[in-house]
Amino acid sequence: MTPSISLRGVGRRFGAAWALADVNLDLAPGVTGLLGPNGAGKTTLLRLLATALSPTRGQVCVLGLDPAVPAERTGIRRRLGYLPQEIGFPRGFSAFAFVDYIAVLKEWTQPAVRHAEVRRVLDLVDLGGISTKRIRAMSGGQRRRLALAQALLGSPPVLILDEPTAGVDPEQRAALRNVLAELARTSIVVLSTHQTEDVAALCERVIVLDCGRVRYNGQVTELVGRAAGRVWLADAPDVAASASWRTGTGRYRNVAEHARAGVEHVEPSLEDAYLLLRGGTRPDSGDVREVLS
Amino acid sequence: MHGSRSDAALLAAIGERDLAAMRALYDRHAAWLSVRLTRRCNDCDAVADAVQDTFVAVWRKPQGFRGDGDVAAWLWGIAIRRLVSRLRSHREVMARFEMMDATLVPAAEDQVLLSVEYGDIGQALARLSPEMRAVIQAVVLDGLTAKEAARLLDMPVGSVKTRLSRAKAHLRAALAEGLP
Amino acid sequence: MTSWHVDEMALRRWIGRSDSLADSASVEQHLLWCDQCRERVNAAVTGRPAPGVVDLGDMWSQIRDAVELPRSSVFERLLQRAGLPAHDAKLVAVASAFRGKWLAGVTGVLTFVALAAALGDSRGVWLFLAVAPLVPCIAVAFSYDPKVDPALEPELVTPYPALRLVLLRTVAILGMALPAVALFGLFVPGRAPYTWLLPAVGCVAAVLALSTWTSSLRAAVAVSAVWLVVVWSLVAQAGSPDVVLHARFQIGYLVLAVTSTVIFLVRGRHVREFRPRRR
Repeated sequence: MTPSISLRGVGRRFGAAWALADVNLDLAPGVTGLLGPNGAGKTTLLRLLATALSPTRGQVCVLGLDPAVPAERTGIRRRLGYLPQEIGFPRGFSAFAFVDYIAVLKEWTQPAVRHAEVRRVLDLVDLGGISTKRIRAMSGGQRRRLALAQALLGSPPVLILDEPTAGVDPEQRAALRNVLAELARTSIVVLSTHQTEDVAALCERVIVLDCGRVRYNGQVTELVGRAAGRVWLADAPDVAASASWRTGTGRYRNVAEHARAGVEHVEPSLEDAYLLLRGGTRPDSGDVREVLS
Repeated sequence: MHGSRSDAALLAAIGERDLAAMRALYDRHAAWLSVRLTRRCNDCDAVADAVQDTFVAVWRKPQGFRGDGDVAAWLWGIAIRRLVSRLRSHREVMARFEMMDATLVPAAEDQVLLSVEYGDIGQALARLSPEMRAVIQAVVLDGLTAKEAARLLDMPVGSVKTRLSRAKAHLRAALAEGLP
Repeated sequence: MTSWHVDEMALRRWIGRSDSLADSASVEQHLLWCDQCRERVNAAVTGRPAPGVVDLGDMWSQIRDAVELPRSSVFERLLQRAGLPAHDAKLVAVASAFRGKWLAGVTGVLTFVALAAALGDSRGVWLFLAVAPLVPCIAVAFSYDPKVDPALEPELVTPYPALRLVLLRTVAILGMALPAVALFGLFVPGRAPYTWLLPAVGCVAAVLALSTWTSSLRAAVAVSAVWLVVVWSLVAQAGSPDVVLHARFQIGYLVLAVTSTVIFLVRGRHVREFRPRRR
């Protein structure tokens, strides 16, 4: 049976406001990207998938287990790796010590086996050479990679990553993409990011969230295809465009729902498609409001 | 790749907690250190412990190398002293003396080689007793103090000093003989 | 660098220990400054593990472990001696209550308060009375609060039971804090030291129970506030601090301890839950 995650009618409320409403999703092995503006509910959705939060409404089913049942929730957590958006590190720990600590919490009780696994994940994120360095002496990108390493312990069938490449330099980002692609052959990987290039390079599927609702859920190629014929270059910003910006070459890239005739069309990128989607009609707000950033 | 980095550069990296540099230093030096130590003491475990102690000590204080001389010589200094402090029984040393006896008479082609580096001294050395050779090796070649040599060879400090002066006298006499 | 390198035969004889002192001296001096010949020794020795020859790979593993593995703290070893399995001991000892700075702070506070009690008048005793039971209570709260335990989010979604972790840390802290408070209590004139036990245990249990609803730090603050008010009003009424430890109140503390423990165990799965703050 292929591993899967499914959400049915899931909603999550904080106080009076709904951070997520009426979310229906099915996730299968492979990499799924999660895009959306700040406050769209990406982090809330990821926390729900990672069993850090429970839904106010609806059903969540991860690998056939229900996180509302404590025993099954522990079962999910045994097969889960989670990288939160912000992570703090215990004082005075070295990189190795931190991952070792999380490994103990993940029930790796045998020291020899555990240490070998810690070294393996540190090597995956290219921190093996500085495993003894104090975390407070590490750069932001190195800390992010360290945080990713703990999520990779045990090559979990479900990997939930909240902005895994934030602050990581381009070289390392490319290396991380390879690691994730390799893992995604058998695992379900969900990652949220602000970098559309990461999604374009890595994800087969993408989910776009806005104001707590799913605005798009499907293949990346299909989303990009929607922007075909709707992106063009001009020497000046076009007032008719829903988005327009200056590129490095000095010309202006324009995106609009209805393209004008006789303009210089270009191949659409995922970013164009995403902007087009966001620039379209906003959903009926109802009781949905931006709560969390 | 670390192949191009000098030993001193590796030590600097070790100071920055670079484990990969430590591995590179180990790959370069552990083999010859082990062999050289085994020639001083037959006990494999003591040698392994001494080499391990050496590298852990290097990790803890890479700045102990003051930049004078070769890193290899510095490593040897640490290693031999660690071995000396670990030696307990007389047995390992006796085995070494036996080893020495077997090399009393060098083969003919060796003598040709010897003359390249040490000339007549090689022959003179070969004629010394095993104990005297051991003392020469410990004090002159390995750079140990008389006290450390005494511990390594399990003999009183006085014996070390006596044998050393006698060995030097023998060598001087042998060399004087050899001069045309 | 000289172009002279050790002859292959001589090198092999050196490794095999079958050459003379002069030969070996020659090789050894040369190896001190020739990287190429050192590499040749490496190549000859690697991959040929034999009895009587050191295993280079094994030695490296030992060195790497000595250098990389975090050292067990004193508390970790103590806990292991007490019977806790190694991995549990590691988790408990990480709690900030076992860290140097915290210990120093607590010792400082207790010393100050005990001195005040020993040297001063009844007001000093009153101060000790108020502070002593709160020490283990705050230590326990700190041992699993997110502000102090910053790796909370990834920790939360690990399979290790949170309840077990909190209980282990609490028991360990109590095992350390209660004797310490009792020791300081010896310097305080008045009631015997062991009478502090029940109020202390009661406060700790209350914190644990409350932390199933709110963060442990807030729970500790609430319990501390209530305790201080209780002490103050009782002492103001009766005029002497001893009244707080009177038998009839001890029963009250016992009831508090028991009910809190029950509540805590029943609502155990809510402890250490993720409670995101509104930003």
